[in-house]
Parts: sequence; C-alpha cells; structure tokens
Amino acid sequence: MLQAIGWAFSNGRRARRARNMLPLALLCAACAPALAAGQQRIVSVGGSITEIIYALGAQDRIVAVDTTSLYPAEALRTKPNVGYLRQLSAEGVLSQTPTLMIAAEGAGPADTLGLLKSAGLRVMLLDEQPSARSVIDKIDEIGRLLDLQQPAQELSAKVRKEFEDLDARRKTIAKRLRVMVILGFQNGRAMAAGRKTAADAMIALAGGINAAGAMDNYKQLSDEAIIDAAPDAVVMAQRGDDDVLPASIFDQGAFKATPAAATHNLIQMNANYLLGFGPRTAQAAQDLMLRLYPAMSPAKPATKP
Amino acid sequence: MTALVSARSLSYAIGGKTLVDNVSLDLEAGSLTAILGPNGAGKTTLLRMLTGELKPTGGSVWMGDETLHAIPAWRLATRRAVMTQAASVTFPFTCYEVVRIAMQSPRRKAASTNVMDETIVEAMAAADVLHLAGRFYHTLSGGEQQRVQFARAICQLKSSAQYGARQILYLDEPTSNLDLRHQLMLISAARTLAAGGLAVCAILHDVNLACSHVDTVVMMKAGRAVASGRPADIIDRATIRDVFDVDILVSEVPPPGRPYVLPFTRSVG
Amino acid sequence: MSSETATAAQLRSFVAGRKRRTHLGFLILALVVILSIVVALTSGPISISPQRLWALARSAFDGQSSGQTSPGLARDALVLFNIRLPRIVLALLLGAALGVSGTVMQGLFRNPLADPGIVGISSGAALAAALMIVLGHHIPGVDPALMQTVALPLAAFLGGLTATLFLYGIATREGQTSVATMLLAGIALAALAMACIGLLIFISDDRQLRDITFWTLGSLGGANWQKVAVVAPIVALLLGATPLLARGMNALSLGEAAAFHLGVPVQIIKTVCIVLVALAVGVSVAVAGTIGFVGIVVPHLLRLAVGADHRTLLPMSAMAGAVLLVIADAIARTIVAPADLPIGILTALIGGPFFLWLLLRRNRNIDL
Repeated sequence: MLQAIGWAFSNGRRARRARNMLPLALLCAACAPALAAGQQRIVSVGGSITEIIYALGAQDRIVAVDTTSLYPAEALRTKPNVGYLRQLSAEGVLSQTPTLMIAAEGAGPADTLGLLKSAGLRVMLLDEQPSARSVIDKIDEIGRLLDLQQPAQELSAKVRKEFEDLDARRKTIAKRLRVMVILGFQNGRAMAAGRKTAADAMIALAGGINAAGAMDNYKQLSDEAIIDAAPDAVVMAQRGDDDVLPASIFDQGAFKATPAAATHNLIQMNANYLLGFGPRTAQAAQDLMLRLYPAMSPAKPATKP
Repeated sequence: MTALVSARSLSYAIGGKTLVDNVSLDLEAGSLTAILGPNGAGKTTLLRMLTGELKPTGGSVWMGDETLHAIPAWRLATRRAVMTQAASVTFPFTCYEVVRIAMQSPRRKAASTNVMDETIVEAMAAADVLHLAGRFYHTLSGGEQQRVQFARAICQLKSSAQYGARQILYLDEPTSNLDLRHQLMLISAARTLAAGGLAVCAILHDVNLACSHVDTVVMMKAGRAVASGRPADIIDRATIRDVFDVDILVSEVPPPGRPYVLPFTRSVG
Repeated sequence: MSSETATAAQLRSFVAGRKRRTHLGFLILALVVILSIVVALTSGPISISPQRLWALARSAFDGQSSGQTSPGLARDALVLFNIRLPRIVLALLLGAALGVSGTVMQGLFRNPLADPGIVGISSGAALAAALMIVLGHHIPGVDPALMQTVALPLAAFLGGLTATLFLYGIATREGQTSVATMLLAGIALAALAMACIGLLIFISDDRQLRDITFWTLGSLGGANWQKVAVVAPIVALLLGATPLLARGMNALSLGEAAAFHLGVPVQIIKTVCIVLVALAVGVSVAVAGTIGFVGIVVPHLLRLAVGADHRTLLPMSAMAGAVLLVIADAIARTIVAPADLPIGILTALIGGPFFLWLLLRRNRNIDL
C-alpha cells in the first residue's frame, strides 16, 4: 500500500487527491493488521449500545464509553469516559485510537462528528426510538458491525420472544391501570413523564395507561393535575438505590387524593433499567407488568393450541 | 476691538420653559468677561450655547463669519476650550494622563513628545498641579481636580496651531471648590491669558472676584441679560438688589475704578 | 505608580518610567501569548511532546515528501493540524475579540461593570439559540446535523444583531445615542429574554434542555478551519479599527460633553464601537456559545496593572484575552480527558479568583 501511495505521489496530477487520502490510508494501514486479528477498538456512545456490546460478550473491544453508559456498572468504572453523548470531544475520542464509533442517534455535536469522520474514523449512528423494534434492530446492527452475527441473532431472538410473550400477556389484562411514572421531586413538585418519552412507551408495553398522558415530555405537575390524572399506581424511576418510603409520598399533598394512595401503590424501579431501552427492556416491562397486576402469574401463559 | 464670538438674540426653551431669553453678547479678543447671576438664571445654559454644546432654539452664535454649528467639532476644538464644572473620571487615569488627553484629539498633528511634555509641564505648573502629575485623578480633592481641568483646557488651546490667534477659553464656575489662594491664582492666570490675546469667558459666583479682575460683566436674571458692561459702570446697589435680591453696600477699593460689595449684616445687640 | 512630581524634571522621569513599564508590559504579554500557544499545542488527551511538535512542524513545511511517515506521526499530524490548531487559533481570535470588546464597552458606557454582551448581544443570541434548539425542527429542510453546524450559529448571530439594533433604536433620539438608556434597556431586554428562554425550557424535551444548557456554558469543541475562516475577518476588523478609536475613547472617559469640547465626534465613535462589538461578539457567540468573564475581567486586570490609557489598553486587552482563552481551552481539554469541559466554566474559575486577589491587593484604584 505504501508503494501505491509513493506511485500516486510521483504522478503530479493525482498527487493532491492522494495526499488527501493519505491520512485515511495510513490509518487503515495501521489498523489493517489489527482488524485482521479481530481486534476492533470501539468507542461506545449511548447506554443501550454499551449494554448490548457487553451482552454480546465483546466488552474487550470497547476502548471508551460515554457518560450515559450506566449499565453494566463496570463500563464507566473500567473504561475511559469521553463525555456526554451530545458533547463529545474529538481529540478525546481520537486519543483512544479507535477504529469504530457506534453511537446512538443524537450524539454530537455535529461538528465533532464531522471532525472524527474526516480523521478517518468510521462512525455508525443507530436509531434510538423507544420501541421493541428499535431494540431488536440495534442488536442485529451491532452484531453485524462486530462480526458477531451468531450471538447477536441469539440475543435478538431471545429479546423478540420476550416481547412476544409480553404482548400475549398484555392481551389478558381485563382492566388497564392508570400509571404515572415520576423521575423525582423538584422543590416538592413531582416530575412526571408525559407522551413522547421512554416512560410512556414502557407503560404501554406493561399494559397500563399513562395517567399523565395529557402532556408531552417530562414536566412538573401541579396538585390539580395530579388529582386529575388519578393514577392507580405510581412508579418512581430512581437513579440510585435509596428506598423511598411510600408513606412519604402518599401521606401528604396531592398524592393523598389519588387512587394509588389507598393501597400505597408505589413501585420503585431503577431508571436505567426501566427507561434505557436496551436488551433488558422486555424484562423490565414484564417486571413492571407483574408489579402492576400481581394476580398475573410469572409463568408463561398457556399458548393456544 | 474685534469680537471673536458674537451671540445674537440667543434663546433656549425646552419643555415649555424658557431658560435663556434673547441674550446678545460679544466676547472680545484680549478681554475677560464674567457672567454673573443667581442660581437658575440660565448662566450655564448660555455658556453651553456659546461653546456649541447646545443648539439654541432661537438666535445664533457667530465665530468670525461662520455660525457655530457650521463648524465641525474637531475644528471648533482648535478655536476654543472649555473647563466644565464637575468632571469625574470613571477610570484610574493619572493627572498627567488627563491633561495629556487634551493634546490627543483627532486630526491634530501629533507634536513630538518633548514638545507635548513641555506644554503639559507649563500648563500644570500654571495651575499649580505639577506636583500631582503622578497621582490618580479620582483620589484628588474637588479643588485639585478643578485645577487639573484648568490645565487641560490650557493644553487644548496651546496644542492648536492657532494659539493666541482668536482663541476662546470658557470657564464654568472655575473657582467653586478652590481655596482663596488658588481662586486668586486661577483668575490671575485667566487674566494673563486674556492679556495674551485670548477671549476668556467665565461664569463666576463671587461678585468681588469678578469686579476686581474682569473687563466686562454680564448680569443675568431669569434667562435675560439684565445688564452688561464694565464692573464700575454696572455694579451698583440697585442692580445687585434687582438681580440677586440682596441688599449690599457698594464701595470702591483704591485704586479707584474697581468696586467691591459688602453685604449688610445685622449686628447683634 | 503614584509619586510626587514637584518639578518638571521629576515629571519627565515619571513619564519616561511609565513608558518603560508599558513597553515592558507589551513585551511580557507577547511572550506570554507565544508561551501559551506552545503550551496549548502540547496539551490535550493525546500527548504530543514538544519534540514531536517540532518534528510535525518540520514535516509540514517539507510537505511530506517521503510518504514514509509512521502511522503515529500521521495521526498526531491530523490531531494537531485539523483539531488542535484550529481550536487554538479560534481561542486566540475569540479571546482577543472578547477582551477588546469588553474594554470598548466599558469605555463607551464609562462603567467598569460593562461586558461585551451589554448591548443586547448575549440576550438576543441566547434567545435565538434557544428558539432554534427547541422549535427549529419545525423549519422545513433543517435536519439535526444542518441545525447544529449552520442553523444554530446563524440564528445566534442574527439574534444578537437584532437585539443590538433594537436597543440602539430605543436609545437613539435625533441622532444622539444615550448610553445610559441603552444600558437600562439592555437590562430590561435581558430579563425578557430570560423569561422567554424559561418558557422554551419548559416546553423542551430532555435532549433540547441539555443542548440549551451546554450552549450557554460555551465550548470550543467544534472548532474547525471553516469556523476560523468566518471569524477571522470580523475579529481582524475589530482589532484593526479599535486603535483608531483609542484617543476618542480616552476623551470620552472625561464625559461626553468634555469629549465634544475636545473635538471628538462622539456619536460616530459610539455607533462605530457598537457596530464593531456587535459583529465581533455576535460571531463569537454564534461559533462557541456564551463565554463569560473574559470581557469584564481582562480590561480591569489590565487597568490595575498598566493604567487606563486606551492606546495601550486596547491592544493589551486583545493579547490578554487571547492568552486567557487559550489557556482555559487547554485546561478544558485535559482536565477531565478524554471528556471536554465547557469553557465558560473555566473562564469564570480562572478569572474570578484572580480578579478578587488583585482587588484585595490594590484596593484603592477603582472609582465606581
């Protein structure tokens, strides 16, 4: 390859084009032997993407992750952190000498991605819709990129089956509950998830109705809105592991007047687990469903002959 | 004697109020003119029209054969300098720098630094602020700041090529913060400048100071020029009572020709 | 700095001493600028030692004649010339622009608290940026990538200029601009802009909220040669024109009336200053978001050190601002490597305490 470049240089007219290709060519030259040995160096940007790579057993190929790569916990602990998904550092990414960057769509800033591409880095952006289809597609796509189609197919088949089971169970729900997902409290006001959020999709998957479905995105709810929403169950999506006493929510304020207060129906789940839309999503949806409808048995429903 | 500045029927009205009403006066080369009058008589407004800062609502100011407002600001600055009342400077300039600013105006051929410094030294010495050159302006007392402004005005005039020829110096209450020694010093310096050919016009509050040093007095009351002429001619008991609403005794100091005023005081017991 | 100068001779020596100090100050600043550039070139998550730097510079001049360069050198060359160098050049340009603009605005408003954005640029740009971030997807033909590289900077620039024009219009009557009115109207406009941004934050989704926040913190992370090409001519205009205004601004410090009496074309200077600053700061905010503190701290520090004469203050503000931003950017790239800290945080962290320290040392030289 180096001889080819030398020849290109000696031809004046094509010298410029060859010079532009030089960095890319040299990087590839550097990488070619590495790639041949199956040693990709991947920068994984996006929590679900990192999770999928770990699930495929390819974590050794990851050289850096971003701040949203919260699961598994060892990702952020053991790998260098290139910053927030939407504010990456070009030099930071390149300092890890990656061969490939797999990023959730929405990674940025756009200028940085441009710089990375012009430096010869292969950048793949994956769709991030909160849906079952998107999760399965992500797994398949990553499997293709990592040349791990077999494990990927197994994983995506498993996930697909879980979603199908979920669908079947959902059909058996007689009366759907009104569910409100709260991210937390700000100055005593609850931050609830409306439409167009991952939480909204999860509620739907778990067979509930979004009690806060009259609004979009995450917003603080007024007392009246909470009473109007009348949730039968309140789901608290937490960052950490602290236990929240149901009493602390239901014994005062607007929540006292909600149907959920009658049974102190508070469900606490890890935010990343619930809202990450990675391989564990179907499981998380099922968890939520079982906690909403305890009468349902955890065993597989009988399939119709 | 030729009038360097001629004001004809100057008036200024704003917001329905007339501050200056139909005032005419001449500033002659080589003379020192004082504008006297009670507070609110329109003295400062009149001065601002004479310096070109304010546009009169009636009448006009002539400099030679041009009206004041036909002269661009930079050229006007070579003809006249103004020492204003309260001059506070926001930033930490030294006194030397404040005076030097007067020599740096646009379109002025930059004189060599030595010549510039000579001028500055002379001006600051004349105002007795040479020893304050290195001090920060805002740390000075009000009176010291005034003297620095005086030095700056002198520098502005001297830096122009037309020095001495048909230049005017305006002083707005130049002695208001000065102690006795410096009051006399400043008014003598103004006198000397006038003797050198300048026309000097000052707003003064001290009637005696005016009487003892100036050539022409213009008495203002309620926007009108009530009287103008030599001090000996127009300073008398009736005029003072009319303009200042104060009863005084007017007498003369030897050598005769220069009046002085003494207010009556009610003696106790 | 202050001294008794009772005789002409003493005055002359005092003046000569000041001149020497000024020349020395320029020399030191110039050296610091060069030093900071070298430091910035060698810092970053990818380590490039000074020797490597020298080798790369040499190879750039020789034009890669052999083609036998090692992959490591090629990668370093890429990082240096395509990522680090444009970033450093941008930092120099923006730092100089902000430093000078701060000095100009403080001189114009005769207020040591004025900052470059005081003529509405910051508020207008921030509001326009927030509008574009939250509502921009409604504009046909604007995809997310185009949004960030073109639409957003353009919006910010136009927003800043519009706000400035608006304030200028309010404050100018019969051809005379009242800087006091502009200041007060600017405060009102800032409050209004903040309220509107608050509304936009309220209706934004998670992603947009993050984008607004990061934009407000400012970052040089997206620097490339195109941005440098856009910024350079405008900043060059600012830097080239302001020395011509130096004398006028000195006179303005004595008050507008005094400046008029000295023959200074006050209204022209005001208009030119506002236009230049609006353009330069507008383009910096468009390209890098809001970077605070440089415009306020730099002029003050320099005044405390070298005095208030604008003829020395203006060029020095450019140099000092450039140094501050280059160093801040170098730290931003390395302190949490491989992540990138928003630069607005660093300029405040560096500028604030240093300023406090300087004030405590010489606590008598500012008259508010």
